[in-house]
Amino acid sequence: MTTDPISLLKRVLSSVEVKLILAWLIVVIATIFLDPGSTYLKNPGSTAELVIRNTVFLGFFALGSAVIIISGGIDLSSGAVIAMSATVFSSLLMLIDPEGFRAGEIQTWVVVVSVIGTLLSGVMVGTLNAWLITGVGLPPFIATLATMVGLRSFARGLIQAVTGNRSQIDFPDLGLRDSLKDVTSVAIVFLIFAGILWFVMSRTVVGRHLHAMGGNEQAAKLSGIRTDRLKWLAYVIGAVSASMVGIVYFADQGSAKPDILARGYELNAIAASVIGGCALTGGVGTIPGTVLGCLFLRTVIDAVNKIVGTGADVYEGMIVGIVVVLAVTFSQRGSGRISKPFFGSLIGWACIPVLGLMAGLSFVLFFREKEWFTATHAVLFGMLVLACLTGRAWIESRRGVKSGLFVTRREPPRKS
Amino acid sequence: MTQPLISIRSIGKQFNAVRALDHVSFDVLPGELHAVMGENGAGKSTLMKILSGVIEDYEGELWVAGELQRFTGTKDAEAVGISIIHQELNLVEQLSVAANIFLGRETHNAVGVLNGREMDRRAAELLRQLESNISPAAPVSSLRVGDQQLIEIAKALSLGSSILIMDEPTSALTESEVARLYNVIHNLRQRGVTILYISHKMDEVFLLADRITVLRDGQFVKTVERTSTSPREIAHLMVGRELEESAERPVVDQLPIVLEVRNLSLAWPGHSKAWRLRDVSFRLHRGEILGLAGLMGAGRTELLECLYGASTIQPHGKIWLDGVLRTFTHPAEAMRAGISMVTEDRKRLGLFSHSNVRENISLCALDSLSAAGVVSSRLERAATEAQVQRLRIKTDTVAASINSLSGGNQQKCIIARCLLTQPKILLLDDPTRGIDVGAKAELYRLMEQLAADGMAILVTSSELPELLTVSDRILVLSEGVLTAEFSRAEASEEKIMEAATNQ
Repeated sequence: MTTDPISLLKRVLSSVEVKLILAWLIVVIATIFLDPGSTYLKNPGSTAELVIRNTVFLGFFALGSAVIIISGGIDLSSGAVIAMSATVFSSLLMLIDPEGFRAGEIQTWVVVVSVIGTLLSGVMVGTLNAWLITGVGLPPFIATLATMVGLRSFARGLIQAVTGNRSQIDFPDLGLRDSLKDVTSVAIVFLIFAGILWFVMSRTVVGRHLHAMGGNEQAAKLSGIRTDRLKWLAYVIGAVSASMVGIVYFADQGSAKPDILARGYELNAIAASVIGGCALTGGVGTIPGTVLGCLFLRTVIDAVNKIVGTGADVYEGMIVGIVVVLAVTFSQRGSGRISKPFFGSLIGWACIPVLGLMAGLSFVLFFREKEWFTATHAVLFGMLVLACLTGRAWIESRRGVKSGLFVTRREPPRKS
Repeated sequence: MTQPLISIRSIGKQFNAVRALDHVSFDVLPGELHAVMGENGAGKSTLMKILSGVIEDYEGELWVAGELQRFTGTKDAEAVGISIIHQELNLVEQLSVAANIFLGRETHNAVGVLNGREMDRRAAELLRQLESNISPAAPVSSLRVGDQQLIEIAKALSLGSSILIMDEPTSALTESEVARLYNVIHNLRQRGVTILYISHKMDEVFLLADRITVLRDGQFVKTVERTSTSPREIAHLMVGRELEESAERPVVDQLPIVLEVRNLSLAWPGHSKAWRLRDVSFRLHRGEILGLAGLMGAGRTELLECLYGASTIQPHGKIWLDGVLRTFTHPAEAMRAGISMVTEDRKRLGLFSHSNVRENISLCALDSLSAAGVVSSRLERAATEAQVQRLRIKTDTVAASINSLSGGNQQKCIIARCLLTQPKILLLDDPTRGIDVGAKAELYRLMEQLAADGMAILVTSSELPELLTVSDRILVLSEGVLTAEFSRAEASEEKIMEAATNQ
């Protein structure tokens, strides 16, 4: 084995994990300077707790999602499974020991049985998803779209049946609630869970087979790998991880409301996996990368919260969207695939004013309540973005003439 | 002598390292049916793609009706009256017959609203000329393959084409559909359409063609009048190469039988021919290299897949492995029983391009390289490095990306993956496809070595000289039926070619 230190260093630096750590540091440092309340310096403890809590909650089911994506599938149902699991957990607590539930003192064995029952419901959902995909032959997107829509509705019906037409169950036992949502213990459970998944994915036969199946399913099957069983495993891991989050969310939110709980979270999980280096085409991705992807995503959201101030949760979706686009764009460019100009076509030029307008309007939305804000600021900012993008497009069009030719000369189109 | 309609002058085409066409020159006369024949890979399809404007970048000159042409797309070719009916039909299955015929050239009014009635009327008129009563409004997906082909022909007629290229037009047709196609061809010829007919089926070429041009290895061999030649001569022209030197092989008849296959049939649902494979029976001896010859679509790959438990539908018939009756429903079962397969399409069915050399080689044998499900990196590295040495795989380290290897070395990695499972029977589906000459020679040596160690090898190839070089015996498949078996001494390219084109 030759280990050239320079190439080793290059490889380490080009890994998704290192890039994410660097990007994360940049975000943290920028926030320290830009945050008007300087919370990172004044209250490092509580800030860290908040970010860790959000990262861990997202991390659980993002890891499940990552396993499925690495194995070549996709799971849209994880948000609905969270809602369903919170419902199942609360219902089990209520049904097994109604006395204790009313009195607000639930016995430990009831909690244990309810947790086991809830995780079992996750196994069942995973099995259902896997059967729809391998047995019925639906594409994973369609199969989990159906369970996503179906399970949430099922949970709403379930809660009405259990409570007698109420739409939520409130958490009964304050002591239990505190211990279930305790950040330290949840974070420890998460680290153990992530550690096990990391070991399974990187060191075991099953993990190797999951990667192989995601990379080339046909070849994996022809190599004697039982792809159907592996898919079952992946979707069960995905659903069970979401079930764990359901239990924790029930405690964290203080009530199980399946109509709104964790709505749309499946997309955050997919986004975090993608930011963490998983390719939606399958076969590529790591568990540490996904954990860092979650941390990075939640830190950016937290940073915007700090900088913009009140009401910033409205913009969470915008942030996730922007971070996903940037992360995937840079990882694609970084990995040396053919770099196409961003603004090489009419569509590119047409998008420049769109981006400029969006930048100006976002500026207004973010900062309209600040004392220093005037309309001129927003217009100037929009113009600045417009000018930068136009400049980039102009440079690309100049360079494109030459490099475009160069690329076609060097790499003739492949035909068989 | 009449002025040729198409003059092909010294046309050549290079694909990366492969010389697909080399200084090919011949003429096509107006109104004739000119057959172009050759083995798989002889360059027939490449030449037709140049004629129809699909390939724009080639050497040499192409004259049509006395004018030098250089097509930069199919539209250019259509403009001078050349249309092609590809082997794989190019239809939008969801659209109607009329919509397909006029796809991209729809009749519409000034603001772009389609005139469906006019298109239906014209489509019906075209189909009537082809003596067909297909409804112009029927969706193409509801039609049989033969009818779909007529749609392509109608499309060509609607373009006013005077030259029609047909690439293996009967390969997917039933007998009655073939008969109707002959009628259509007759009809077209009476209208003065010149037809270039690509085929490797002797009977139809000798029924239809005026003249036959034979290509071999990308080179022009000869153009002959149909009336002054014979199928035997054509077969000879198609293959006539010097045989390569081959090493002495031991006599294998006396060795014990490892695999016996009897009356193996594989259904072909939804297809005009009911069977992909029909009543195939043979034996494979220990230490024997058994060659499997056949043209494209003869069922070679399907036969190997049946033996490997990889066919999508369960085959009929019986398979004995070491005297025990077995059925495999998944490759995992076949692999456990000691059968391993190297697939034909390396990129699509063999390689894991995201993984490195080590992971690609060890994949099938991970169970034996792990304890309690945890892969031992020490055992894995040792096992894969041993294979890299044994097969002389040229790679930096076993941690290198599989994509950094040449085609031949990638193929060796896949063979190494199979060998690590210590199979009794190795199935090789066209193992030398797309690899260079040096790597081919190494593979032949490896196969001989493995056979000498007692492994039974069943190998297919699209190159006959290769099969003649390595095989102890050769089976010939034609359209899913075993048509001949030759011992090493009996086999010749001509005999195999005749058996492979025998319907």
